[in-house]
Amino acid sequence: MSPAPALSPAARVLRLLLLALVATALLSGVIGGLLRAGLALPMFEGLRWTAPAVVSHAALMIGGFLGTVIGIERAVAVRLRPAFAAPLASAAGTLALLAGQDGAGHALLLLASVVFTGVNVVIVRRQRAAHTVLLLVAALAWGVGNGLAALGERSDAVLAWWFGFLVLTIAAERLEMTRLTPRKPGSVAAFHAVVAALLLGAAAGSPWPRAGGLLFGTALALLALWLMRFDIARHTVRASGLSRYMAVCLLGGYAWLLVAGIAWMALAQGLPVRDVALHALGLGFVLSMVMGHAPVILPAVARVRLRFGWPFYLPLALLHGTLLVRLAGGLAGDGWRAAGAAGNALAMVAFAATVLGAMAAARRQPAPGPAPD
Amino acid sequence: MTAGSDAPFDYDGPAELQAPITAALSRVVDPELALDIVDIGLVYAVSVGADSLIVRMTMTSAACPVTDLLVEEVEQALATVAAPGVSIHVDLVWEPPWTPDRLSQRARRFMGG
Repeated sequence: MSPAPALSPAARVLRLLLLALVATALLSGVIGGLLRAGLALPMFEGLRWTAPAVVSHAALMIGGFLGTVIGIERAVAVRLRPAFAAPLASAAGTLALLAGQDGAGHALLLLASVVFTGVNVVIVRRQRAAHTVLLLVAALAWGVGNGLAALGERSDAVLAWWFGFLVLTIAAERLEMTRLTPRKPGSVAAFHAVVAALLLGAAAGSPWPRAGGLLFGTALALLALWLMRFDIARHTVRASGLSRYMAVCLLGGYAWLLVAGIAWMALAQGLPVRDVALHALGLGFVLSMVMGHAPVILPAVARVRLRFGWPFYLPLALLHGTLLVRLAGGLAGDGWRAAGAAGNALAMVAFAATVLGAMAAARRQPAPGPAPD
Repeated sequence: MTAGSDAPFDYDGPAELQAPITAALSRVVDPELALDIVDIGLVYAVSVGADSLIVRMTMTSAACPVTDLLVEEVEQALATVAAPGVSIHVDLVWEPPWTPDRLSQRARRFMGG
C-alpha cells in the first residue's frame, strides 16, 4: 500500500470542518453538563442552544463528541473516504440537537452508527480477530442506543447502550494489546463472559431496570478487575516518557471503572449515586483514556506534530483530583458536586492548553526524527 | 512467510546493508508499547534491489489509525540508509496475520514473559 499522501485541499477542509464540529459538540456538551451540575453561568443564559445543550448533554458528549472522534479515528484507519460519512452524520446530529431538533438529531446519530457499523464490517473482513469483532459489537451497541433514543426512549437503558459502545471500544483495543503479554489460561474466556454480561445487562435495562443495572454494573466492575490484572499497562508503566504517561492514564481509568461499576449496581438498587455512576465512567474512565491516547492519535488524525512532555500529567492530575471532589464531595452536598464539575471542565481546558503547548514545542524542534519519542 | 530462527524478518539484498536496515527499522517505535517494530515482529520482509527498497510489514490491528504515521516513519528511517535515488516502498499486508509468536525475546521479557 502506498504511503500516506499529503492531504488534498478537500481533505483539509473536511478535517477543519470536522474539528470545528467536534469542538462544538464538546463545548456545548460541557456547558450543558455544568448547568446540570448546578453551576450559575449567566453568560450562557437565554441563548437559543443552552436549553437543548442541557437536555442533550449525554447525546452531545457520547454521540456528538466521542462518536464523531471515534468515527474519524476509524475512518483514518480504514483509509476509505466514504467512512467519513459516519463522523459527518454524528457531527450534523450535534447541530440538530443544539437547534432543538431532537428527532432529526437522534436520526442523524442513528445514521452515523449505521455507517460506522459498516466501516467496522470492512475492518473485520480485513482482519478477523476477537478485537475487531468486538469493535463491531461496540458499533452495534451504539446503534441500539441511538435507535432507542430515536424512538423516544430517554431511560438509563439508552445510557447503558451508549456507554456500552465506549466501554467495549476501549475494551477491544485493550484486548488487542494483551496479545503481547503471556495470557493466563481462561483469561480470554473470562473477558468474553464479562462482555456478554455487559451486553445482557444493557439489554435487560429496558424491561427490568433493577436487574439490568445490577448486571451492567457488575460487568463494568469485573471488566475493571480484568484490565487491572491483564493489561499491558502494568508493564509499560515501567517504561518512560509517553508510554509511561499512557499507562498511568489507563491504570487511573481502571480504578474509576471499578468505582463506576459499583455505583451503577447501587444506582440500580435505588441509591442516590447517579452522578458517581455516570461520571466515574464518562470522565474517570473514558476521558482518562482520551487524554492518554490523544498525544498518539492527534498526530495521526489531525496531522499535527506534538512534543510529549511532563506537563501532560498536570491536566490528568487535575481531572482525577477534581473528579474525586465532585463524586466523594457530591455525596455530602451539591456545592461540592458543582465545584468538582467546574474543576473537571478546567481540566479539559488545561488539557487543550497542554496540547497547544506541545504543538508549539514541536514547531520549535528540528525536523522529526524517525522515532516518535 | 515466517522469519528464520535468528533473523527477525526475511531479507533479500546485499549482505552489507542488512545490519543498517535492521538498525533503521529498529528506530521506529510504537509509542504506547515502548517497543520498536522489529521487536514486535511487524516487519515480515525486506527486499533491496538496484533501485528499490521494499518492506513488507503488518500491524497488530486493522483498526489502528496510527498506521499511516508508522509507515511514514519507516520510510524516513530507511531513507537514512538507502543509497540516493533508491525508491522506498512499504507494502502493508494483513496476510499472514500477526501473532504473538513474532515477538522478540526482548519484547517478551519486557511484557512479563
